[in-house]
Amino acid sequence: MQVFNVPKSIKKDCTFTFCAGCDHGVAIKLVAQVIDELNIQDRTLAIASSGCSVLLYNVLDVDCIESPHGRGCAVATGAKRAFSANGKDNIVFTYQGDGDFASIGLAESMHSALRGEKITAICINNTNYGMTGGQMGPTSVLNQVTTTSPMGRNEQYHGFPIKTAEQIALCDGTCFSARVALYDYKNIINAKSAIKKAFEYQIKGLGFSFVEILSSCPTNWKLSPQDSHTRIKEELSKIYPVKVFKEK
Amino acid sequence: MSHIKINEAKCKSCYLCIDACPKKLIQKSDNIGSMAQYTVEFNDTKNQCLGCAICAMVCPDMAIEEVVNDK
Repeated sequence: MQVFNVPKSIKKDCTFTFCAGCDHGVAIKLVAQVIDELNIQDRTLAIASSGCSVLLYNVLDVDCIESPHGRGCAVATGAKRAFSANGKDNIVFTYQGDGDFASIGLAESMHSALRGEKITAICINNTNYGMTGGQMGPTSVLNQVTTTSPMGRNEQYHGFPIKTAEQIALCDGTCFSARVALYDYKNIINAKSAIKKAFEYQIKGLGFSFVEILSSCPTNWKLSPQDSHTRIKEELSKIYPVKVFKEK
Repeated sequence: MSHIKINEAKCKSCYLCIDACPKKLIQKSDNIGSMAQYTVEFNDTKNQCLGCAICAMVCPDMAIEEVVNDK
């Protein structure tokens, strides 16, 4: 019995162009598996953002719109409302990095949650701006050394990191907000069930559903893929607890 | 017989699958892959593969394309 094969929603013979050991590949695989399991491939619209997450549309075999930097949730809002106005029940989700979702696009993201837009947002949190060379992002943790904080993130000078899943959970329009990780098999399975739940909430039309995924960035962290996962397990998951913060 | 199929052209030599396999049936091969490093190969001479698909789930590049469980 075949227990695993490449999901139908992944383009045939495509190659992932992320760095070796980057968790983006795992996250996209989980999204593709969920789309297959819910049988929504032909009515799903993905909103890609700027950053490493933009490479989503090279591999995921669904319709895709590229949004300006940070405006994923705004574009998704327009698309979802246009579908709804025409009586279509299409599924719209954004796939964004932490810099895109929680810094440049924080207003769009937060207000989409406050308005209770019936979309799903997936935010890959790798605690820096990965594609542009590892600059400090809104989620960089205190004392983290990045190219723009060579002495480490300083709370007096740079402020504190944002805890996105907790903030989104505070919005009344949010129906589901969770943070998951991908550093081992158990967490990968939990992440998949959280992503599935987020899509199911959208299908039920209950409001804004959000999943933050703690992801590794071995290249910019200057760690091996194995050590990157150890960092998430031992350091990041203590600062960013892995749990469901809101479930209506 | 449970087994996996590895597409070496997609393997980026992160070796996460080597750590993840509960039976340690995946190891470095002698072939050089796209990252100029040794890719991985499946070596199950004693038919120990559980067909659990953990390796396929942790692989970030979907280089493990197929897992068959015949147990």
